[in-house]
Amino acid sequence: MLYVIFYFQVHQPFRINKYKVFDIKEKVDYFDEDLNKYIFNKVSERCYLSANKLFKNLIESSDGRFKISFSITGTFVEQAKRYRPDVFESFLDLVKTGGVELLNETYYHSLSSVFDLNEFLEQVAEHEELIKKEFGFIPTVFRNTELIYFDKLSDILLSLPHIKTILIEGADKILKGDSPLYPRISYNHAHLLLLKHYRLSDDIAFRFSDKSWGEYPLTAEKYVSWIKDLTLIEKGGKNLYLNLFMDYETFGEHQWKESGIFEFIKSVVELLLKERGIAFLLPSEVSHTLNYKPKTISVPEPTSWADIERDLSAWLSNSLQWNAMKTCYELLKIAKEKGKKDLISILKKLTTSDHFYYMCIKYFQDGDVHKYFSPYSSPEEVYRYYMSILSDIENRLEE
Amino acid sequence: MRVLMLTWEYPPFIVGGLGVACYGLFKALAERRIKIYMILPTQEKVFFEISSSWEADYPTAKKWDKKQFEPIPLSFYEFHYLEPKGAYLSLQLISITKRWEPPQLKTQIFYEIPNEVLERLETLLSQDNSLISKVGTYTENVLEISKALDFNLIHAHDWLTYPAGLFLKKLYNVPLVTHIHATEFDRALGFGHPIIHEIEYLGLNFSDRVIAVSKYTSNLIKEHYKVPEEKIRVIYNAFLPPSKPPEKIKKFKESVILFLGRLTIQKGPGIFLEFAKKIINTYGKKVRFLIAGAGEMERHLMLEAASLGIGTQIMFTGFLTRQEVETALSMSDIVVMPSPSEPFGLVALEAMSHGCALIVSKQSGVSEIIENAYKVDFWDIDKMVEIVIDLLENPEKLAEIQEKAQIEVQKFKWEDRAEEVINIYRELVYNNICFM
Repeated sequence: MLYVIFYFQVHQPFRINKYKVFDIKEKVDYFDEDLNKYIFNKVSERCYLSANKLFKNLIESSDGRFKISFSITGTFVEQAKRYRPDVFESFLDLVKTGGVELLNETYYHSLSSVFDLNEFLEQVAEHEELIKKEFGFIPTVFRNTELIYFDKLSDILLSLPHIKTILIEGADKILKGDSPLYPRISYNHAHLLLLKHYRLSDDIAFRFSDKSWGEYPLTAEKYVSWIKDLTLIEKGGKNLYLNLFMDYETFGEHQWKESGIFEFIKSVVELLLKERGIAFLLPSEVSHTLNYKPKTISVPEPTSWADIERDLSAWLSNSLQWNAMKTCYELLKIAKEKGKKDLISILKKLTTSDHFYYMCIKYFQDGDVHKYFSPYSSPEEVYRYYMSILSDIENRLEE
Repeated sequence: MRVLMLTWEYPPFIVGGLGVACYGLFKALAERRIKIYMILPTQEKVFFEISSSWEADYPTAKKWDKKQFEPIPLSFYEFHYLEPKGAYLSLQLISITKRWEPPQLKTQIFYEIPNEVLERLETLLSQDNSLISKVGTYTENVLEISKALDFNLIHAHDWLTYPAGLFLKKLYNVPLVTHIHATEFDRALGFGHPIIHEIEYLGLNFSDRVIAVSKYTSNLIKEHYKVPEEKIRVIYNAFLPPSKPPEKIKKFKESVILFLGRLTIQKGPGIFLEFAKKIINTYGKKVRFLIAGAGEMERHLMLEAASLGIGTQIMFTGFLTRQEVETALSMSDIVVMPSPSEPFGLVALEAMSHGCALIVSKQSGVSEIIENAYKVDFWDIDKMVEIVIDLLENPEKLAEIQEKAQIEVQKFKWEDRAEEVINIYRELVYNNICFM
């Protein structure tokens, strides 16, 4: 069998205000309420509502044979409830179909796993709590921010016994030519690892409407034929797992409605449902369907799904990012020691990876992607605002 | 006396100190009954009339028929200095010295600008270069607008306006004063754009008088452009009182040391950062640094400052409004101005008026006139560190110099500068000793 596993990332950060040095001791509105609301509304109209409707129909019309998984961040849930209760409702409806699995991650979509392990475990617990409370769902599968994974993460997650499976990037440097279709076991034999098939995932997420791409226009038939071809590698009857992981905003926001992305994904699902050797699966179901013992894999250096490097360089490749992140975690530690609840919650929002993504200064292809996602005119600009905010918080911590 | 003022900057359209200096001077001149027609690089063909103190604050745009121009808000050309890179190739072709012998003041009473000079200017301005062609457009505008104006002297500020000044002098036989606020050597720290050098050379040598903002600048143009000494008058800039009486603001618990200026090599922000590093190494966390301004060196400076991993100890402001400049000064205890080449340095006077202790490079015009400031060679970072640590450790000493500076700065008045400028006007217009 070839199992297709869809996982979509649902996230919105609390983008920061244009907070200047001169605003220190004058203003405490660190987050750009108008901008966040504007973006949330825009993405709701273009993506969330239409995509939820489409996937709900597909789940219901397939009698549950079609299924998907989501990782929904805490900052997203907060914004949904604040700005668009209707969007939040539509996610609840979708989860109620039973064809949806919710994953566990850091509440704030942060890089705490790299910087502060106590904070990491705290944010994972906060997220688990949120998913239980809001959706009545107990997650057993973990995905770290932007699929960041390294051996030690598996060790850390040992303290959360309900976590059995982790989603990771099928990066070339860890697979070394091997196929991402076979799940792996973590180096310590504690977790089952599902590897993203980045080529087929990115064909939808990044290249679908790229007219300069050789395969443009991508039809559902062509895409499904590529999936069917994948089964050719396996002669011994081992089950294969095609992990298609992407941002939920792929549908309608990154790839516009006019590109035909909604029709495309609908046809792909319908065509795959007709295939006898292919079925959809949830991440937590992989362990029950395995008909062989997976190989172990060691990932000593962090990998992620970001940029061509697929490492941490999207958030931590220059000194601005490093100094900003380091300072944020240091202040968070002090805020905790002093029990400053209001500041703790602000600092946690400042740990969100997006802030550091906007500070990235890499050229060529990826620089363009960073620019597309950033609401600020330059990495320098956001660094100035971010550090001014931290400086004001620093003052308030001493009060 | 009616003076045609040609300048590229005037508030609120300011890039650097030029606009502030023009404002201070024009206002004081208008108070002394000098009637000013000002032409700016506006897209609309208009001039501004300033004949009272009030009009200096709110100059109204007028059309050639002297009717008020609507709408009032004006749009300006975007202004960027060229990077000197890539200009060296043509340097061999265009020699800036010895092309024309500068007129000898003592021997020649009556002098005309040779036609070759104007032809050369036309060639220079027709270069396919976005900045130079904007100067060409400005020159054409000035020639057209000035037809409707009656003036007995032209006063041109910095190279961008010199071509227009030279054409007008030739056309109307009126004396020309070229005011030099900054040379291309200062902006580029060495050789800059050859066309700009040549325009500066022509403007300074073929005018009737040159006003330099300091002895430092006067020496520079004597040495590099061979401007005859008899023609040059040094008139320093003066102090413009802030919009409201300065008041200290405490934003940080530590002492604040400020760099204020464009983040370009001319202003020495890199030297400031080196200085900051040394202070941090010896003095630790007890001091905060503020780098205020925008410019092409921002990314470089920011990356380097952040790589020290010292959190929020070095802060950046980005571009500042006039109000924010005053706030930055009010927040600061010590201002360091390490410019490697600074014709004047108005920031120094502003810092003093806001009660900041000042450390200023000896390679600046302002250091020639102020007493209550520390003057250090721009490269002598150790000396700067020594002075600052001494001040931080002796709060009474710091308070004393701050107070003295605040008092001293009051004596640099634009009224006095305006009198000196009027003396030059009188010399040229009434005594008729100019070479027209």
